[in-house]
Amino acid sequence: MIDLRLKVDPLPIVEPLVVRLLDQPVDNRTEHDAIILDIDGDRREYEYHGFSFTVYARPHESLDGDVLLVLPGQASAHRLIRANSNHNTFLVTEQCDQLCVMCSQPPKKYHFDLFDQLAIAASLAPRDAVIGISGGEPLLHKERLFQMLFAVSASRPDLRFHILTNAQHFEPQDAERLVALGSDRILWGVPLYSANPKTHDRIVGKEGAFASLERGLATLMRAGASVELRTVVLQQNWEDLIGVAEFIATRLGFISVWAIMQLERIGYGRMNWASSFKDTSADFEQAARAIDIVTARGLKAWLYNFPLCSVPQDYRGYAPSTISDWKRKYLDFCDGCGARETCGGFFQWYDHKEGFNGLGPI
Amino acid sequence: MKASRVLQIVPLKFRPTDDGALLFADDAGGYFKADQDFLERYVDDSLTQSDHRFLDVNGHAFDGVGDLAYSGFEYRFASRLYSPAELDYVILVPTLRCNLSCGYCQVSRVNETTPGFDWNGETLQAVLRFLGGLSTKRIKIEFQGGEPLLRLDVIRHVQAFCRSKFDHCEFVICTNLQEVSPEAWAVLEEPHVFTSTSLDADRATHQAQRTKNAQKTSSFFDNFDAAVNRLGPNKISALPTINPTNPPPATAVIDTFVGYGIRSIYLRPVNHQGFARKRFDARSSASSWNRYHSSFIDALIDFNWDADAPLEEYYFTHCLRRVLRSGHNHHADLRNPNIIGYSYVVIDHDGKFYPTDEARMVSRVGQFDLSMGDVFSGIDRDKIDMLNSEALNNFHPDCVHCPYQAFCGVDLVDDLSRYGRIDLPKHLTDFCQRHTYIFDKIFSLIYSEDPKVGKSLAIWSGAPRFDSSFAKVHR
Ligand code: SF4
Ligand code: SF4
Repeated sequence: MIDLRLKVDPLPIVEPLVVRLLDQPVDNRTEHDAIILDIDGDRREYEYHGFSFTVYARPHESLDGDVLLVLPGQASAHRLIRANSNHNTFLVTEQCDQLCVMCSQPPKKYHFDLFDQLAIAASLAPRDAVIGISGGEPLLHKERLFQMLFAVSASRPDLRFHILTNAQHFEPQDAERLVALGSDRILWGVPLYSANPKTHDRIVGKEGAFASLERGLATLMRAGASVELRTVVLQQNWEDLIGVAEFIATRLGFISVWAIMQLERIGYGRMNWASSFKDTSADFEQAARAIDIVTARGLKAWLYNFPLCSVPQDYRGYAPSTISDWKRKYLDFCDGCGARETCGGFFQWYDHKEGFNGLGPI
Repeated sequence: MKASRVLQIVPLKFRPTDDGALLFADDAGGYFKADQDFLERYVDDSLTQSDHRFLDVNGHAFDGVGDLAYSGFEYRFASRLYSPAELDYVILVPTLRCNLSCGYCQVSRVNETTPGFDWNGETLQAVLRFLGGLSTKRIKIEFQGGEPLLRLDVIRHVQAFCRSKFDHCEFVICTNLQEVSPEAWAVLEEPHVFTSTSLDADRATHQAQRTKNAQKTSSFFDNFDAAVNRLGPNKISALPTINPTNPPPATAVIDTFVGYGIRSIYLRPVNHQGFARKRFDARSSASSWNRYHSSFIDALIDFNWDADAPLEEYYFTHCLRRVLRSGHNHHADLRNPNIIGYSYVVIDHDGKFYPTDEARMVSRVGQFDLSMGDVFSGIDRDKIDMLNSEALNNFHPDCVHCPYQAFCGVDLVDDLSRYGRIDLPKHLTDFCQRHTYIFDKIFSLIYSEDPKVGKSLAIWSGAPRFDSSFAKVHR
């Protein structure tokens, strides 16, 4: 497992601090850089504006180019950017206006505004990085979010964002700034669980959510935005998957990709596992038909978080490895599997006793 | 029971089908089958709640302008309209000379030794200047003729120039493969060079239509064998030209192409020009072609049922995808509006620009002058733009009633060349007859319950299986 937090010796600061760790000075030096002075076992000492800053990490782990967020009085730092990973995500808020049955990050009441720090962190990311933004619901703080996006786009035109949003909070007048940000800079990941408004609303725990979502998607379409539509398969929406496929074909021809996703056993997903997890290794038919439909319509469908052996052979090409490196594991039987290189395996928190029934090496 | 929700229904067009039902379609390409009763309710404005529910789910209705159903419809409608991209595709005819004399090619060739039908040094320089002025970073150059391998020197000049100027170059050489020198093989083997040739069904047909004697036939087939071996089936395409009044059996064509490992077959009807064309009445030639093409598609379906590597007819696949998808506008033969003279141009042996190869032929037989300037004085689109302003089926008085309008296109140059005018009632044109047939055929297959048909449709539509929801019937 890869650490997303690192132990540090607390710094005498009153404001949150963003620091980039460097093994040696680089050309594009910034005031946020700390240069390594000394490594001793798991203890690394950096020089930061003449002060000493100490970070603890496993001896062979590279921290070069990583960006940390250090909060006043805390003995651990958030590793906001791991320079050698494609899976860097900023959690910009823990507040949310939905309460989805499968939520992996159940919402919290309070919000700490760290957008300024996150904007600095983004500006320190490696070239051409894609930065994930998630929550909670990021657009609950829409003005601050847009400020950050505009600031970073101006200073770092090479960066791209992948933003997860429930699309409840787009207004028609947002189209203009979406256009200004550029449709290839941001991929909006937007969940839709059913084409039946009642079912969708029930799954996300908010009445009227489907209607707002339709309005949000229409705004994104008008703005020419890039959208990854996301549907987690659940017992609750399994019979609706074909309806979603047809909804996409008639209403959402503009999306870049449709992600059909397996459930993550964490947060509410864990709490509701027994009533929500759909064993697609035993019955894949609705997902297969959904893929058949959108593919013939010339749209792209992907299966996210499906172990390859849970997918019938004809559909394995639709199942890329999607589980982030720091969340991924394999099981005993994966050792003898010829597909392990291309298979994304399982979430760390997957429990095989309650999981797929029909798996095995292929 | 009458509907309570105030839904707006988009305009629907319809056409009777063989099974006694009606096929309905809208301007964005959404379709379904229903019966006469539904038609009456639609016309009388007495649609039921269940009608409304169906039309809503199937994308033919919306609550209000700007809502998601409305915008989704607009999006599908708009992406079916072709808008020309920047010029990145140039067809070059460095010579009209040819070392074959195929029956139906009288107007696009001269004898191998005839002087005066080649680019000279000035033409080549002017063409290179023209290419040098393009803003695209990716270029596709197609060499046609005549037989372009007779001007390998020109091919090489153009290649060298393009490779120095563009980030990415693709070259297609349309050759009869009759005589291929070692130097020519070297060019064909280069990366990003593709070979396109004619292979008329089988040996007998090829000889009758093209090579005329056994010796020339053998040299073609020897070279073709060599080409498949040396270049691989992915770098070579072969078009069978079919004479619909005397066509080869479909299985003969299939066997030949399978034998060479070529999986995509693009059947072309003989394209008579000038006097030869006048001998063939447009109506009867379209119907014999349609009959043959339909039987060919049936033969492919049979073949694919238990084949390891399936086949397609290229144009049929294209039309099927145009039925199912929006934005499938990449093929120049079927576009709406069919704006010509912008994203690609032809440069003839005398340096004149034409918007399409067909326009070059029409001009060559003296029917109309559809040239648009030349490489010495530049592109002049005045005439072609007049044609372009009519090249749209959306407001055509016949097409507006046709359920195939969203999938179909226009080909005014074809109308001009066949009838000398562009205002014939559509159903009298060869273009309309061929496309009415092909979409009839596509829908008869989409609504077929034969698993063999389903398997081929899946392959041709690019999906693992062909879903039954594409054959919606509203009752
Ligand atoms: S056995 Fe393991 S590695 Fe192989 S496909 Fe299944 S989950 Fe993936
Ligand atoms: S040309 Fe014929 S088939 Fe095509 S849209 Fe017009 S009427 Fe229909």
